[in-house]
Amino acid sequence: MANVNIKISWVHLTSKIRQLIVAVLSVTFGISMYIFMNSFMNGVNGAQTEITFTTMAHIRVYNEQGGAPTVLIPPNGSGDTLLSVSNARHISYTEGIRNAEEVIRELQKNKEVVAITEQVNENVFFRNGVTKVSGTLSGIDVANEIRVFNTVQYMTEGDVNELKRRSDAIVLGTGLANKLNASVGDNVSLTTSDGVGKILRVTGLMQTGTGSVDKTRALISINTARQLLSKNKSYATEVLANVDDYNKARAVAGDVRPDIRYKTEAWQEGNGQLESANTLRDIIAIAVSLTILIVAGFGIYNIMNMTVSEKIREIAILKAMGFEGRDIVQIFLVQSVIIGLIGGFIGLLLGFSIASIVDRIPFKIASFDTLPISYLPADYILAMVFGLIITFVAGYLPARKASKVDPVEILRG
Amino acid sequence: MKTALSAKGLNKYFHESETFQVLRDVNFEVKKGEFVAIVGKSGSGKSTLLYLLSTMDSDYQGRITIDGTTVTGLSQNELSRFRNAHIGFVFQFHYLLPEFSVLDNVMLPALKLGKKPKESIEANAMELLTMLDIRGHEMKKASKISGGQQQRVAIARAMINEPAIIMGDEPTGNLDSKNTKVVFDIFRQLAQERGQTIIAVTHDDEFAANCDRIIEMVDGKIMS
Repeated sequence: MANVNIKISWVHLTSKIRQLIVAVLSVTFGISMYIFMNSFMNGVNGAQTEITFTTMAHIRVYNEQGGAPTVLIPPNGSGDTLLSVSNARHISYTEGIRNAEEVIRELQKNKEVVAITEQVNENVFFRNGVTKVSGTLSGIDVANEIRVFNTVQYMTEGDVNELKRRSDAIVLGTGLANKLNASVGDNVSLTTSDGVGKILRVTGLMQTGTGSVDKTRALISINTARQLLSKNKSYATEVLANVDDYNKARAVAGDVRPDIRYKTEAWQEGNGQLESANTLRDIIAIAVSLTILIVAGFGIYNIMNMTVSEKIREIAILKAMGFEGRDIVQIFLVQSVIIGLIGGFIGLLLGFSIASIVDRIPFKIASFDTLPISYLPADYILAMVFGLIITFVAGYLPARKASKVDPVEILRG
Repeated sequence: MKTALSAKGLNKYFHESETFQVLRDVNFEVKKGEFVAIVGKSGSGKSTLLYLLSTMDSDYQGRITIDGTTVTGLSQNELSRFRNAHIGFVFQFHYLLPEFSVLDNVMLPALKLGKKPKESIEANAMELLTMLDIRGHEMKKASKISGGQQQRVAIARAMINEPAIIMGDEPTGNLDSKNTKVVFDIFRQLAQERGQTIIAVTHDDEFAANCDRIIEMVDGKIMS
């Protein structure tokens, strides 16, 4: 019985090839745009996040200063003593993390943590001749630093591993090198806030893509940095860790927080703007692509409505012959679902093609080479699901109209 | 002889603009194998009566029994199934599905009924097409054959499920005199040789005069 209905649907579809192609194309276009928009937006989000994580780890442990001032005199319980401390101040007994190894051990216990490194960061003045520039000096543990930040990828000149081999080597951000007018092989001198000076040789340049970082940051070996600050061998200003999936950073930070004496912060806590930008881009992508799909739905609705109007006599005669309302719904619904399936599959291919073409368009800004595109299976599945839902609804309305045709009215003329 | 169709106390009103009674207490019976013509001026209610008998219009008072089944009061879906199995239609215009082949058009009601395998339906359809002298055109599109041929295909389609009754709404109204004669002779032959019950509404006096019985409608009532 159902075979007859499908046979009729098929004959209806194939008898008007041009109309079929237009209907299929509208679905194809909608679905391919959905895929392209989402792939592109996800690519942009991914690239943006990647740039961010060139200088920022997923989890950061540091010694936070501030909070309530040091209590110098314990408050007295008895009522006859008046206690007054005016202009209370912090008296900081600890600066930075004294025993970084202990923190690293705690972080290593968590299975989600994939890479850990320690840094000694200090604000210093760089000097090359008369040029004097303030900046941030990062003492890094080269091997682990590369594991967390993939620093090698951002080196424009020289080799970051040189820092391991030479205690007087320094890597400058490209912006900083410009300001100092220093290039590889030049010497720069620096002065710490405590007045200790040291002359270092530029062995490399790096560009992370984040301008503010490239203009101020320089890397040296962590041991050199400790020496500069006269700190012990396990001293670090911060311990940084990466987790398997950066979206889980908040949960992991929460897990390890009780075991660590210092402030433990996930990247989202300090960078709300990144998260909100990602979310907003996702919303825009989905809104635009769903709109395109809905417009495609109107296309199908229009075509199916026309088909029903054209075939109203045939519908009447089918009903006279004994076809029920639900047979008529099936006949017309099958047509739009077939249109949805064909259009959908072509749309998946077209969407993938557009995405991979755009993926090859050169785009040389910051650390980009080409426009960013991501290929997520979820986008393709959702595109197909939304496409089918919309064609189903767009086909059902005319089909229901067809099923309500009164054969007597039509056949009596 | 057995009764193929009986109508008891049929009344029907139209409610458009003002209430108007189209059928007034219509009673009649048709015997098996009878070839009946319903005649009358336009507006006399003859087409309305036919559509009530066809079960497509279920908005009436009275009772209709076809082939032993009381169809009055059945649901739309039950009526659809009943029509499929027990009633064949031939209209003034052939109303074939133009995109289907002649053979497919004839087979459709039987495929819908689904009681026989496709092969035997096809054999039956070919037999009918041979009998109606359209053999050789069966693979053509229904829109590509002549008007007289189309009407014969419509008759073959009406007969494919071996219905209790074939109903015709001016089956020759759109045909020239030669084809009218062909179609009439087919009906005549079906009634005589196969014992097929046929009820046809017609304007054609000559057509009516050669039927077994004429039911004449005047102002919603049966004369005679």
